[in-house]
Amino acid sequence: MSTNVIMPQMGESIAEGTITKWMKKVGERVDRDEPLFEISTDKVDAEIPSPAAGLLTQILVKENETVAVNTVVAVIDGEGSAVAVPAATEPKPETAHQGPIHAAPQAAAHIPPPAAPTASEQIETGEDDVRTSPLVRRIARENNVDLGQVKGTGLGGRVNKKDILDFIEQRGPGTPVAPSAPAPAIAPTPSPVSFTGASQAVPMTPMRKQIAEHMVASLRTSAHVYTVVEAEMTRVVAARDRFKEEFERRHGIKLTFTSFFVRACVEAIKESPIINSSVDGTNIIYRRDVNIGIAVALENGLIVPVIKRADEKNFLGVARAVQDLADRARTKRLSVDDVQGGTFTITNPGSFGGLFGLPIINQPQVAIMGVGAIEKRPVVRDDAIAIRHMVYLSVSYDHRVIDGATAEKFMGRVKKILENWDEAVL
Amino acid sequence: MPLLTYLEAIRQGLWEEMERDPSVFVIGEDIGVYGGAFKVTAGMLEEFGEDRVIDTPISESAIVGAAIGAALMGMRPVVEMQFMDFIACGFDQIVNMAAKLHYRWGPAVPMVIRGPSGAGVHGGPYHSQSNEMWFVHTPGLKVVAPASAYDAKGLIKSAIRDNNPVIFYEHKFLYRRIKEDVPDQDYVVPIGKAVVRRPGTDISVITYGAMVWTALEAASELEKEGLTLEVVDLRSLLPYDEETVLASTRKCSKVILLHEDTRTGGMGGELAAVIAEKAFEALDGPIVRVTAPDTPVPFAPPLEEYFLPNTQKVMEAARRLAAY
Amino acid sequence: MAGTGSSTKVVRTTKIDAALLGKMIYYLKLTREAESRIENVLYRQGKIVGGVYVGRGQEAIGVGAALTMRAGDVTFPCHRDFSVFLIRGFTLADMMANWLARGDSPTRGRENTLHIGNVDLGIFPIISPLGATLPVACGAAMVLKRRGKGNVALVHFGEGTTSLGHVHEAMNFAAVQKLPVIFICNNNQFAYSTPVEKQYAVESLAVRGPAYGMPGESVDGTDVLAVFGAVERGNARARAGKGPTFLECVTLRMTGHSAHDAAEYVPEKMKQTWAKKDPIQRLEKLILDKKILSRKQIEELEGKVREEVDAAIADAEARPLPPGKEAIEGVYCDTECWWSKKRL
Ligand SMILES: Cc1ncc(C[n+]2csc(CCOP(=O)(O)OP(=O)(O)O)c2C)c(N)n1
Ligand SMILES: [Mg+2]
Repeated sequence: MSTNVIMPQMGESIAEGTITKWMKKVGERVDRDEPLFEISTDKVDAEIPSPAAGLLTQILVKENETVAVNTVVAVIDGEGSAVAVPAATEPKPETAHQGPIHAAPQAAAHIPPPAAPTASEQIETGEDDVRTSPLVRRIARENNVDLGQVKGTGLGGRVNKKDILDFIEQRGPGTPVAPSAPAPAIAPTPSPVSFTGASQAVPMTPMRKQIAEHMVASLRTSAHVYTVVEAEMTRVVAARDRFKEEFERRHGIKLTFTSFFVRACVEAIKESPIINSSVDGTNIIYRRDVNIGIAVALENGLIVPVIKRADEKNFLGVARAVQDLADRARTKRLSVDDVQGGTFTITNPGSFGGLFGLPIINQPQVAIMGVGAIEKRPVVRDDAIAIRHMVYLSVSYDHRVIDGATAEKFMGRVKKILENWDEAVL
Repeated sequence: MPLLTYLEAIRQGLWEEMERDPSVFVIGEDIGVYGGAFKVTAGMLEEFGEDRVIDTPISESAIVGAAIGAALMGMRPVVEMQFMDFIACGFDQIVNMAAKLHYRWGPAVPMVIRGPSGAGVHGGPYHSQSNEMWFVHTPGLKVVAPASAYDAKGLIKSAIRDNNPVIFYEHKFLYRRIKEDVPDQDYVVPIGKAVVRRPGTDISVITYGAMVWTALEAASELEKEGLTLEVVDLRSLLPYDEETVLASTRKCSKVILLHEDTRTGGMGGELAAVIAEKAFEALDGPIVRVTAPDTPVPFAPPLEEYFLPNTQKVMEAARRLAAY
Repeated sequence: MAGTGSSTKVVRTTKIDAALLGKMIYYLKLTREAESRIENVLYRQGKIVGGVYVGRGQEAIGVGAALTMRAGDVTFPCHRDFSVFLIRGFTLADMMANWLARGDSPTRGRENTLHIGNVDLGIFPIISPLGATLPVACGAAMVLKRRGKGNVALVHFGEGTTSLGHVHEAMNFAAVQKLPVIFICNNNQFAYSTPVEKQYAVESLAVRGPAYGMPGESVDGTDVLAVFGAVERGNARARAGKGPTFLECVTLRMTGHSAHDAAEYVPEKMKQTWAKKDPIQRLEKLILDKKILSRKQIEELEGKVREEVDAAIADAEARPLPPGKEAIEGVYCDTECWWSKKRL
């Protein structure tokens, strides 16, 4: 039985201590309560007796090193003489406190696993017909929405802010707004062109103008090269089917394929960092953060909100971000910050039926991936024809910095991750 | 900028004020020769002498009362409570004398009572309390509770320069655990102004003192799940920054009120009331409190751990509220 | 420095009772051994957390006072009176379990140090804010007086504590109502870092007694027999319905204020002088001189004390820490009160 020797907390505000002297060497025997080392803290110097008898097998903190209280400074292999603190007599799901008393309760190791909410922490859910919030009622009033029509995805089917904004978005223009009501939060889309002659000049919207400029500039800047791979989506489709409902219910998230593609790209980028770079004159600028742009089609254009630091997010985090950005893109509530800083973009021509597309790079990035339609196709498996969910994935890359081999390696990796989708990633 | 602990920042603020204004003096138990139980006033006796660094008998009522007398005569005393728990022994002088003097007949009472509060160090029921609400409920006092070293220095200066009695809550858990760049020039942090420590959009976590760090830790954990918390550090409890509280509520539509103090009659209740009164229609979910339960602070580590709010508890509450 | 015997002459008890001396030496040694384990071993091993205050150098005050107590008497020990708890009925294992924050301990992990009480044993502990027990002792004494069985209430406090308002109120109250209270001030000459000349301006605290209308006496707090005798005199008055007594017992705190305080502010010479007056050595010498116990018997006693402390620590360490959720139980006393239920 081995015993950890810790840096004791000598004084209420003391956070750390310095080992000034070891009185035993590794390999030496030490008795319980025999002086083992000396410490010096902001408040006091003291000789520390050994908590157990046995062989000093490890010294983890050298003389003159300063460590936080409760740091393990040595290990003693005992003769069964060390007395561990017996576990608290606590019923099962709660933590049992084991080992020596720890003196810094806010340290991470101390935090007990989440307990079931106590009565007072439980959130009350209302009892009225439509379960919702004051905010949603206000938005409903201002936009003349019958809350009974809105599907709630919140706790117990509550209509929350996201639900009503989605509803207003989907309902689209033309729904009567009470004349005296304040201006709706969402502007109606412009009416279609009405012809007076054979053709009609309509000025570009500012967004259209910007897209036009960007696209041409990108083609002028980057040496575009394209490649396409085909990936089997069986496992991804199965995973999505299995978890769709749970995500909706537990997190209020509609699980889309986009989240899977984002996760796959992030993982693949980690192995090919050049994909996550940009060009500045004759320098290649590698980006630490992986910020994935998602092209979202709007009625009259296109916008690319960015999932910031996608490499730090787990699958749930990505899915939440995808939904949040898409929602806000459609309801025109993106901030400037939301559309800046992308390091790689994913676009989805497949959602409109395209088998695959060859997108233009979103400057100053150096690669963009296009996702084709996911559909069942006959494929050859073990010399037999099988029906499988398949997708074409294209990538447009900037040959100034990315060569064919790199691009193929990257796409190969994306394909492999998707085809071997591991549910653990969820 | 020099790296200072929270404790050193308080000392530097006190020191600079002592240098700046000869009417400032410090008074308390074991603060001179010994430099204070936590060493906040270490070195001051040597620098400023016995007239301005006054060791007293263990007499909180007399210390506070004497400080009031000196303040009435034009001085700016700074009283140290060895632990904020013992402020109870000076309670009558604070709530009945200091707090009401100006309202009753007009004099200024420029004084500060400062000292360590808060749990997390196994101090047991009498070296761990967060008793700030005793004074938040007393008109005429001001109450501040810095979370950062920068604010600790800036607020002690504001408190000393204020013409009213200010109760200054230091958190002993932070004393030597927080190290920050603190400018060594003169600056103040205004009393009554909160600060947004971390911007976010999903849930606003409004808190103060050591719990600010808990909230920040929860926020960076939840960011990984795509939940963004906005962390508001109140810094002052009386008066508190209603404007920032309401703005953050309106931005996020969901609010968690977090404090180490016990639940009933805590700061969270007051904030919940003002949010319900003034930002009702901005709410997309119930106002949620994460606080210590209504018990004294227990001693044994497992009990104290259960008692104290922590990152995990904040994350749980935030996840539930986000799903609401 | 604190003076002795300024207001009343010190009367040394003459009757030497071998059994009493045996008890005295046993409790003195047991207290010293237990407290040094707490301060120098268990705390430094991180097994005891939080604050640690011990009574090294002033054990004779607790032992001398508690050994005067009879059935029905009550006591309010202070933060350095470990011995009182043992003499009045707590087991050493329970005391150790409390220091170690165990669930199966007198306060079930809620309280630390000597904040341990038991109404049945007549032990009422301090709260940390100093001096608050003195008025409470007056309340207990009011009841004892009404019961008319000649019982007394003993209340212990340090010289630093005499600066609190509570003390003034309690002493006046007790004197006016002629309550059977013995105010026992252990003057260990320091209150944290504060020496007596910064705490009070009289030469001996004994004058505080007459100032309120009760006898005041100052004795050598390192002489357990002197303490015993002085408390007995106070008790006799109180039991006879003649009211309270104030007693100052002078010693030196032979340790830091708490375990993390090195007490560098105590002059070295003072420490050396008082080390020579160690209360345990003094009594040991007397016992050897009077041939009440032999050197060998004393050594045997020391061995037994060490074994007792070893066993108590082992017993306490084997007990579990309390489950966290107990933190919210038993805040109020009602029929379903958790405290009245059997221990787990
Ligand atoms: C009202 C109050 N103020 C301050 C303290 C902090 N404190 C704890 S013990 C102590 C010194 C007490 O001195 P004394 O009464 O002489 O007892 P001793 O510790 O010397 O036995 C102080 C200042 C306290 N516990 N209560
Ligand atoms: Mg003392």
